[in-house]
Amino acid sequence: MEFLLEINVEEMPTSHVRTALDDLAERLARELASAKIAVASLAALGTCRRLVLVGDFAEGQADREGLVTGPPKAAAYAADGSPTPAALGFARSKGIDVSRLEIVKTARGEYVGFRTVEKGKPTAEILAKAVPQVIGSLSFPKMMRWGSGTMRFSRPVRGLLCVFGGAPVVFEMDGLRSGDATVGHKIRAPRPIRASNFAEYKAALREVRVAVDPEERKAMILDQIAARLAPLGAELYSDPGLLARLANDVEWPFVFLGSFPEGYLALPIEVLSTAMREGLKVFSVVKSGRQIPYFLGVADAESDERGLIRVGNERVLKARLEDARFFWMNDLKTSLKKRAPALKHVLFQEKLGSYDDKAQRLKKIAAYLAERAEGEKIAKDLGVAAELCKVDLVTDMVREFPSLQGKVGGLYARAEGLPEVAAAAIYEHYLPQSLEDDSPGTLAGSLLSIADKLDSIVGVVGLGIQTTGSSDPFGLRRNAQGVCKIAIDRKLSFSFPRLVDKVQAVYGDKLKRPKAEILDYLRDFFLGRLKYLHERQDIRYDLVAAGLGAGLENIYHVHLRIKALDALKASPQFEPFILMAKRVNNILAGQPACALNPDLLVEKEERELQAAFSIVKENVGPLIARGDFGQAQKIVFRLEPVLTAFFEKVLVMAKEAPVRKNRLALLQAIRKILAQMADYSQVVVEGEKAGGR
Amino acid sequence: MSLQNLILNLQTYWAGRGCYLAPTYDVEVGAGTMTPDTFFRVLGPRPWKVAYVQPSRRPTDGRYGENPNRVQKHHQFQVIVKPSPADIQDIYIASLTSLGIDLAHHDLRFDEDDWESPTIGAWGVGWSVHLDGLEITQFTYFQQAGGRDVFPIPVEITYGLERLEMFLEEKDNIYDLQWSDDVSYGDLRLEEERQFSDYNFNRATVRSLRESFALCEKEAGQLLDKGLYLPAYDMCLKCSHAFNLLDARGAISVTERVKMIAQIRALVSRVAVQFVGPEGRA
Repeated sequence: MEFLLEINVEEMPTSHVRTALDDLAERLARELASAKIAVASLAALGTCRRLVLVGDFAEGQADREGLVTGPPKAAAYAADGSPTPAALGFARSKGIDVSRLEIVKTARGEYVGFRTVEKGKPTAEILAKAVPQVIGSLSFPKMMRWGSGTMRFSRPVRGLLCVFGGAPVVFEMDGLRSGDATVGHKIRAPRPIRASNFAEYKAALREVRVAVDPEERKAMILDQIAARLAPLGAELYSDPGLLARLANDVEWPFVFLGSFPEGYLALPIEVLSTAMREGLKVFSVVKSGRQIPYFLGVADAESDERGLIRVGNERVLKARLEDARFFWMNDLKTSLKKRAPALKHVLFQEKLGSYDDKAQRLKKIAAYLAERAEGEKIAKDLGVAAELCKVDLVTDMVREFPSLQGKVGGLYARAEGLPEVAAAAIYEHYLPQSLEDDSPGTLAGSLLSIADKLDSIVGVVGLGIQTTGSSDPFGLRRNAQGVCKIAIDRKLSFSFPRLVDKVQAVYGDKLKRPKAEILDYLRDFFLGRLKYLHERQDIRYDLVAAGLGAGLENIYHVHLRIKALDALKASPQFEPFILMAKRVNNILAGQPACALNPDLLVEKEERELQAAFSIVKENVGPLIARGDFGQAQKIVFRLEPVLTAFFEKVLVMAKEAPVRKNRLALLQAIRKILAQMADYSQVVVEGEKAGGR
Repeated sequence: MSLQNLILNLQTYWAGRGCYLAPTYDVEVGAGTMTPDTFFRVLGPRPWKVAYVQPSRRPTDGRYGENPNRVQKHHQFQVIVKPSPADIQDIYIASLTSLGIDLAHHDLRFDEDDWESPTIGAWGVGWSVHLDGLEITQFTYFQQAGGRDVFPIPVEITYGLERLEMFLEEKDNIYDLQWSDDVSYGDLRLEEERQFSDYNFNRATVRSLRESFALCEKEAGQLLDKGLYLPAYDMCLKCSHAFNLLDARGAISVTERVKMIAQIRALVSRVAVQFVGPEGRA
């Protein structure tokens, strides 16, 4: 039977609508499951003004059968088969006729008893209790109260429509009584609408120009955008976040094309599109990648026949663009260098100082990185960028549009004629903002971004501020992921502990936590991020763990180790080798470190192993150093047959201590090399049980 | 419709819905929310309905009369209804219709915009209301004031009079608006904007402002010691305005900003405690 619920609310924020719909459906499904009511379907949809559930549920709970047992059969019937006083008494006490008694076989023997059938409750009755309970249980990041009521919600709840099988499900919440009515569009048709099923409901809403399905509204927007842009041969400057928000905010989307004076095209597209998105929530329009003097807006309207909506929006946009132009021209009057001292008044973190302090640190960290990343050529420009990259925080443009930070600094640097390397580095130094975002395109931008992020991470961790599951106030996780992503995307090879050490040295005595403790914490923290980064690329979790298990010396190398394992996992030598590596690990477990004396190697197989190992070691060393783990891995595979022969013929745990220790020493040397490639004990091998141990 | 007719219309409309029409408050404030007719009356259990025009000073918004949209003093039409009625959005929408706006041909939107004023320890949940993209109203359900939960919940509707008038007159420049049929906004306000922008940004004496802040802060404390929370609250407003001017002069460092806001906030919360009283009677 069909179920329909609409919670009529005042305009809810997009993010709240999404979680509310998910939670509503999930929680109601759980309630119904625990009440043993079959759910054939349950879907959530809605707008910012209505949260809607549509479902198909069983009409009622299934009937429940029971069994009540009485006295043993022997005591219940006389020899002639007539019921004894015991049976009669039992039947009387249960209020049934004695003829209903039957023989029941139990583990303890035969008894008399009777069967009961408990009628299931109708679903409507369950819903009348469950629905208000589910609604009341929803929670939002920010809750509010209204009027004199007791309810808490995202925005005031104004109506409740709830029907099941064509009849209203009636309940009360905070003075509101549910029924089969809701209201149409607040402005276009503020009159009551009755509905006893979803088809009626949807049709009645369509009548007053409310499209209740968000996917339908999104499609309507995209269709209209395409239609408006076709004559111009232009495209939308893509903005999925804005599209989702607008699809939520309107009940019937109407897309209009507006224009603005061409003079504003002198402003960079970054500024124009931000002023449009944040000032007015409209899309910018581009043609062959360049902004043209048009924009697209989404109105909650059926049409704009008189053009009033378009003209009104054009007027507002012009004012916003005028502001942006004022900020742009005004900001450019003062060079970034002249403006830099103002950073002394902008706090980065209470105990870590101002953004000026940060800029001074970034200069030193970036210089260190440039030296190590073969960036000598850019070192000077990178220094300029480090010193000026935060200056845009004290420009009017960033005060007005904080999301432009970095970008606008780079644009100003370029406009005032600073070297392109420096301008690009400033522009890019907040990248990547997410894992979907691109890493900086230039080396200088990459190094500056790493320096900036690591400065924040080391500083905050050094103060002992904890990042937990839900609390990451300084965005350390995002920052650490950014550092890893850049190192991997840009193939940047640097020593992680030494870089951390350098940042700590630059902080001087500001960080109270012991140095070694900070490094240990950061190793784990970054390994956690690298784990996440690789597992989401669908690399086998055990291979990721094996690559991470070799430790964090160099972020890029960790990535290469994992990639090498992933690339070789299907090769025929892989599994036998893994099993052998595990065998080596197992036999060495708990053994003290021993010294190798080649003169004591007497057996043919151990001498062969020693010989093979020294060749492998010689070849593999330089490969590991430059991160060619694929090649190194292939060479190491060659040890497997030699090791097999060794274990077959040579008794490692020999009685004579010097011989035993020597053999252990040889294996320890091998293990040491292997440990630089991966922690093979983490790899899960199919044939493990057959071989290995 | 001239700006003064707009005001008359709104006054008539809200008086018709039971609001008391309060006179404009005579201490500088950054928003209508800060005047006693809002700040005190949203506290405590008693119902309250009020509407009034309040000039609002935001020194950093000064543009020397050269920007067609920004001014360091604008006018708000402030409405408080407590407790908020169930049909308050409809009542608000009808107020726009009563101004002759035919909403069938426009796009009226309630955009998520929660409001917060750390200085008076207040926050609320609501929207900025946009008409064809133009923000004309802030619509807020108060949740806290003076650092205390409020109940019953008041709704605050703040019309930006200049914005709304620009919409009604279809003008791009604030100074071209008609205050009355024969007096323009520019006639009345342009020179004031020029002079006050210069004062706010360049001439206000930083040392006097700091002294004034310190004096009013001290006075507020002493008045509260005597239980005179009403004049004490005026002193808080004066502190707040001195703070805004110092901010426009670029004279406040980061740590100082935090400290000064905390000072005012502490006083305001004492004011709220005295007003509400130990039993929350208000």
